[in-house]
Amino acid sequence: MRKILAALLALALVLALVPAVMAEGAAEPITLTVFRGDPGDQPTADNKIYKLIEEKFGVTFKFEYLAGDLDEKLGMMIAGEDYPDLFDGGNSADLIISNGALINLLDYVSPEKTPRLWAHIEPQKARLIENVDGVDTLYIIPNYGLPDGPQIALSVGGPAFFLQKQVLADAGYPDVKNITLDGYFDLIEGFLAKHPTREDGTPYTGFAILCEDWRHFCLINPVQHLMGRPNDGEVLIDVNDPDFHTETFINKPYAKAYYKKLNDEFHKGLISKDTFVMNYDQYIAAISSGTILGMFDQAWDFGSATSALIDAKMYENTYVALGPVYSEKDVEGVAMPTENWKIEEHYLNGSLPNVRRGFGISTKCADPERIVAMWEEMMSDEWQLIFNWGIEGEDYSIDENGRLTMTEEQYAHTQDANWKLANKAEGFTQSSPKKQGWIMNDIQVGDKVVKAGNCWEPGNQDEIVLGLMNDYDKEFLGHYGYSKWADFVNPPIELAPFGEAWQIDYTPVDVEHTDFCAIQDKDLPEIIMCDPAEFDAKWDAFVAEIEPSAKVFEDYMQEHVVIEAHKVLDNK
Amino acid sequence: MTSTAGTRKELKPIRKKGFFATLGGQWQLMLMSVPMFLYVLFFNYYPMYFWVTAFQDYKPKLGVAGSKWVGLKNFEWLFGRADFINSIRNTLAMSVINLVFGTVSAVLLAVLLNEVRQRAFKRTVQTVTYLPHFLSMVIVVGMAQNLFSSNGSINDLLMGLGLVKEPLFFLGEGKYFWWLVGVINVWKEVGWGTIIYISAMTSIDPCLYEAAAIDGAGRFQRILHVTLPGIKSTFVILLIMNIGHLMEAGFEIQYLLGNAQVLDWSQTIDVFVLKYGVSKQQYGVATAAGMFKSIVAILLLLTANFVAKRLDEDTLI
Repeated sequence: MRKILAALLALALVLALVPAVMAEGAAEPITLTVFRGDPGDQPTADNKIYKLIEEKFGVTFKFEYLAGDLDEKLGMMIAGEDYPDLFDGGNSADLIISNGALINLLDYVSPEKTPRLWAHIEPQKARLIENVDGVDTLYIIPNYGLPDGPQIALSVGGPAFFLQKQVLADAGYPDVKNITLDGYFDLIEGFLAKHPTREDGTPYTGFAILCEDWRHFCLINPVQHLMGRPNDGEVLIDVNDPDFHTETFINKPYAKAYYKKLNDEFHKGLISKDTFVMNYDQYIAAISSGTILGMFDQAWDFGSATSALIDAKMYENTYVALGPVYSEKDVEGVAMPTENWKIEEHYLNGSLPNVRRGFGISTKCADPERIVAMWEEMMSDEWQLIFNWGIEGEDYSIDENGRLTMTEEQYAHTQDANWKLANKAEGFTQSSPKKQGWIMNDIQVGDKVVKAGNCWEPGNQDEIVLGLMNDYDKEFLGHYGYSKWADFVNPPIELAPFGEAWQIDYTPVDVEHTDFCAIQDKDLPEIIMCDPAEFDAKWDAFVAEIEPSAKVFEDYMQEHVVIEAHKVLDNK
Repeated sequence: MTSTAGTRKELKPIRKKGFFATLGGQWQLMLMSVPMFLYVLFFNYYPMYFWVTAFQDYKPKLGVAGSKWVGLKNFEWLFGRADFINSIRNTLAMSVINLVFGTVSAVLLAVLLNEVRQRAFKRTVQTVTYLPHFLSMVIVVGMAQNLFSSNGSINDLLMGLGLVKEPLFFLGEGKYFWWLVGVINVWKEVGWGTIIYISAMTSIDPCLYEAAAIDGAGRFQRILHVTLPGIKSTFVILLIMNIGHLMEAGFEIQYLLGNAQVLDWSQTIDVFVLKYGVSKQQYGVATAAGMFKSIVAILLLLTANFVAKRLDEDTLI
């Protein structure tokens, strides 16, 4: 009896193992190691989307997120050739590409083998595929910025001067389109004069400037926007100039006006000394507390603080993105970059492929073909719907008109970091190729149909943006007669042929660029805090000190802006 | 009688054993030291092979064999940079401050604790002072940033006492940085540092204290003439070892507490290497800086040892 029992048990065990091995026939289970070049959290073990991926593809993931400094981490990985299968080098992917850590995806991606992926990159292939020594190369399929259909610009997702909604409400909802730099700070000053502290006694801070590490763009970048250009990183480019005149703006006379303004505001008490030694966590904490009235930043950079404010229902402390530019008075008698330069507000740009950002497949990956085949399958409308919207009935519904809808609770989930760890596969999907923009074809989901004309991202869907907007925001927009937050700035301009210059790989002048940054990080805060009588002398010393490294960087960027632009122009 | 015979036997001239015979006779000891030997071999000696990359434009892709030899270019680049020279200064300055503050505070606290007769109090103080040692530097620096910020407790206290008119900008002015690091290190390590001195004090013969008391020595005289001489050799050994570590001013605290504003005063060699060597793939430069550090450390150690020998103290080598 016992023996029979034992034999049965053994048989049961074997049978239990068989399906695990047999599932999905050919797809032998593998675990892919994944590195993400940004901080994040591990998904829960029972995450439902990863479970689906495992069932369908036999693939599980082992994530490593960035802790600490990206370049340092990548430097260590390169030195030891210690690469994961899926490698997202974040903003420094150029480093891993130039060190030969990634394989050329064009060996696996082609119109025949992977029609969906090819159709996805085809419209932008001039910008994405680079010819290096006679070989066409594509190392990374962009994680974002290849949308279907016309551009959607509901809100400012990138750079802007942000202002708490209560400041505008308190000032009686003034017209802030085409606001000047002075106008922006006047609003903050006016509010602070009336309300130096919150009701509970906590003092308000007028204007915060984050200067930590690579996030120092909050300190440096505003000048180009005040001059009327969208984000080109650290250079100002004349797009109307046939030679694309490019210059570093930080050391030019027109930059001085901005820092002079900040110096004034510092002495008026709008800017605190502590802002210059604040780290990112402290900055986010300060914004989340609702006491920072304004700052220059990019919307994604303080997204977690915005979520925290919404969670706490402190809607009046959330921000409107404004687009101030220099007034004529600000730059009177100051040399412009080129002769016919016109200052016109353009904070929003045409949709931009996120070149060289996202997953690449490393040279250490045993089976690149399988990953590409998986991506190809995942670019199907069905999978994209799962990644973007979730599971029908659980996470969203399809109404009788074929529209995608979410209840308030379901939409709140998509903003909840902890919920997402169990119910979204963001660790993987954020860096993978994906569909954005408009859903172009009908999609069959069970016995229902999602009609074309929905949006891939719930956050862009009318039913959600307008249907689920809180009353404070509705009323706020009502005062202006606007339907969306992007109405506070001008509509996007056409993307320049070189894209946005911050994407240009500058690793060959990396050391000079580091010096260039270090001088700005050190000198600009000093200039902002200095005695107004010393301002001119300090500014001149700064310009002189930064000249050598700025020159190297400027020359490099000028050359490469032209190269990038011609990639696209010559293909037209 | 028998014992005499036995003694005679033992007095036979000792035959000098050969090296290998001795080795064989101590095989158990040899076996026990194998792991340490391997550890040192792999983690200390093997990496030295890569010192050759200090003279190369080293690319991991190409390896040592394939990378280009550049002679002394990496060293020239390093010493041509004012901020590298600054980082040497900062490293040494912060090391010396840490060494002096750390040693003085640890000896002082150990002496005080040694004089405490009430066991419960002594234990409590000891535990409370050495607990911060186990905190991660990230947490310690986070606390320090709050304490020392413009509206932090320290500035509140100074303002409250009327010592300063407006808050001191501790975190944003270079002149405070070294001392801030010194103070934070003392707070974190003082309790830990006392342990070794207290154990040295327990080995002092109590008769000495009694004799001193009988001779009419008071408390301070007993500390001065019994306790301190009793821990002198421990003190010297530790000092020599710490001098060998002078080029290691620490990395975490400067990296975490520093910011662009105080960079000229906060950047140590290690931080510099990370920033311009590892992050910018200038591995040759990173190695050159590491090599420079090691050589200076060896020189410092030998000098300290030599001085100690001259002063007729116990020495390390």
